[in-house]
Amino acid sequence: MAENGESSGPPRPSRGSAAAQGPASAPAEPKIIKVTVKTPKEKEEFAVPENSSVQQFKEAISKRFKSQTDQLVLIFAGKILKDQDTLIQHGIHDGLTVHLVIKSQNRPQGQSTQPTNAAGTNTTTASTPRSNSTPISTNSNPFGLGSLGGLAGLSSLGLSSTNFSELQNQMQQQLLSSPEMMIQIMENPFVQSMLSNPDLMRQLIMANPQMQQLIQRNPEISHLLNNPDIMRQTLEIARNPAMMQEMMRNQDLALSNLESIPGGYNALRRMYTDIQEPMLNAAQEQFGGNPFASVGSSSSSGEGTQPSRTENRDPLPNPWAPPPATQSSATTSTTTSSGSGSGTSSSSATGNTVAAANYVASIFSTPGMQSLLQQITENPQLIQNMLSAPYMRSMMQSLTQNPDLAAQMMLNSPVFTANPQLQEQMRPQLPAFLQQMQNPDTLSAMSNPRAMQALMQIQQGLQTLATEAPGLIPSFTPGVGVGVLGTAIGPVGPVTPIGPIGPIVPFTPIGPIGPIGPTGPAGPPGSTGSGAPPGPPVSSSAPSETTSPTSESGPNQQFIQQMVQALAGANPPQLPNPEVRFQQQLEQLNAMGFLNREANLQALIATGGDINAAIERLLGSQPS
Amino acid sequence: MAATTGSGVKVPRNFRLLEELEEGQKGVGDGTVSWGLEDDEDMTLTRWTGMIIGPPRTIYENRIYSLKIECGPKYPEAPPFVRFVTKINMNGVNSSNGVVDPRAISVLAKWQNSYSIKVVLQELRRLMMSKENVKLPQPPEGQCYSN
Repeated sequence: MAENGESSGPPRPSRGSAAAQGPASAPAEPKIIKVTVKTPKEKEEFAVPENSSVQQFKEAISKRFKSQTDQLVLIFAGKILKDQDTLIQHGIHDGLTVHLVIKSQNRPQGQSTQPTNAAGTNTTTASTPRSNSTPISTNSNPFGLGSLGGLAGLSSLGLSSTNFSELQNQMQQQLLSSPEMMIQIMENPFVQSMLSNPDLMRQLIMANPQMQQLIQRNPEISHLLNNPDIMRQTLEIARNPAMMQEMMRNQDLALSNLESIPGGYNALRRMYTDIQEPMLNAAQEQFGGNPFASVGSSSSSGEGTQPSRTENRDPLPNPWAPPPATQSSATTSTTTSSGSGSGTSSSSATGNTVAAANYVASIFSTPGMQSLLQQITENPQLIQNMLSAPYMRSMMQSLTQNPDLAAQMMLNSPVFTANPQLQEQMRPQLPAFLQQMQNPDTLSAMSNPRAMQALMQIQQGLQTLATEAPGLIPSFTPGVGVGVLGTAIGPVGPVTPIGPIGPIVPFTPIGPIGPIGPTGPAGPPGSTGSGAPPGPPVSSSAPSETTSPTSESGPNQQFIQQMVQALAGANPPQLPNPEVRFQQQLEQLNAMGFLNREANLQALIATGGDINAAIERLLGSQPS
Repeated sequence: MAATTGSGVKVPRNFRLLEELEEGQKGVGDGTVSWGLEDDEDMTLTRWTGMIIGPPRTIYENRIYSLKIECGPKYPEAPPFVRFVTKINMNGVNSSNGVVDPRAISVLAKWQNSYSIKVVLQELRRLMMSKENVKLPQPPEGQCYSN
């Protein structure tokens, strides 16, 4: 009968392979199977053709999990699935589950930071306090970095980026992922001496315009910076890596406790949005993006900022090293959740100071320095960029304005501890040096690779000469070479984060080339008695294409030679008697009422001459 | 599952192992361990491979550890032999060949027939998080024991 008609019946949708409706496809097509992909944090279902390869499967997964295919590791039934295998080969059928691990790309030591981040974009609020703790603790670092002009980024560890800010980023990443390096940095005595000077730290930090902005918005930060106790404590802790870790742990604990207080989570969130975010965003231009941008936007921030294993030293995707002490402020924040806002903001600022210090130093001690120099010679533009960077400028300026500060920094350099007379001589020369740094001629000299090479050659030549024919030196007019070197090496100074210290410290990494040995004929009084006056004009020409030495003056040359001498003399450094060194400090301590000379001396030796720290040691407790 | 309900019921080995195979394929558990037959044609269901994903906040974080598990003829009355394929530095694991010492791991030492491969793997993972193991320095990633 007709009615029966052809019910065309239910339309027969010819389902494409994208159908996710289970096994209803046409027989000729490969069967679509539903496979669940499970990560430790979440799981998703995927519908893929049965005969697809693992590679194709990964591509589909990478879209949904927002990572790259080479970051994905698939595991099924205890086996890792290789890209060229097929799903059938492993027996993956409909309804089965495959495990997924998302690796990070930057894992020099095998500890990954990204995977949790990538995998955990929608996570439970329970993980929020953790993640908030790390942003809090880490965001301060970008500031510290910024304030020093991120010069630390310069020890690029051989990265070949020509873009300065890229260099910085890479540096940060490398730094972060390498706890050993962090340790190395922190243990560098130069860092430590730097860190022990709160005034210096404060000044450097204040010089950063972003910091200034932040301070305007959050006056607590300026309180923090101005509070010498906190600064000192921070720096103290910064010097002690083990303590640092402890602090970080405590802070994390405190913060997670905070979360459990009613209203605590909100406070944390406020903290983050009010303080960290602007800080991070402000630092963004230098660090290539706010890693926490996505974190802040979702109410439950990603596991990505979960502090990684061990002592929370390595707070994951944040761009900068973990700051040390926030413990004092952290504890206050736990007690008063309302005060937590200010507490943590102060803590993050504290972190700044230390972070600043973190980066200042070890530049010299890392092998990266060598490669950096090499890069510099290869890439003049880099230097131009570097030197013209605004923060660099501001730092230089602040140093010029405050010659004492600069003097102090320089003098703390280990090179000089061996040679107090040199210190005295250096002092007056400092302003001249600083001038030189800012001299655009200097800049162009530095950016001239041939000039740099020539200088290197001169140095090498002088060194060879020194070893081959030491007697020849005085008659040779090394003043020329050294003078040229000195001034030209001076400009290499800014390569290191501390401008004026530059000329001195980079001698160390230029180590093999550097120690000109006895070529500094006009030795400082008391060293070699050869006393050939430095006068020699820049007549006999070193093959120099530098333009800066034209401003060479007698005192400058002499100064430089003395420096060189000191450098030579500083290997190996012999410390004069500590009593003599600390004579002045001992007297001060005496005047304050610490009458036990032995104990004073011990404390001074232990703190390297820092009176404030020595006092703390003597008192035997940390004033809070 | 059926193995544990009646105290007197002894489930034959192969049934147990088939159950475990199915669980392994279905991804039962939290997704941090995985196990399956080493060779799908293995009719004796003896050789298994396992995988443990290193727990976060430990030194094992984000590493994937591969293991070989051998369920002998007396399984599940007797514990399986477990051996790490990926190099690992952990208490209870022989550092030269990766063999897990049954006396050192509690689930193996006090094995019960209700335990399973999943339990063993999860226990090993839990031990990675224990104080004594959580910070042990590890060999570089990707190395395997030679045998």
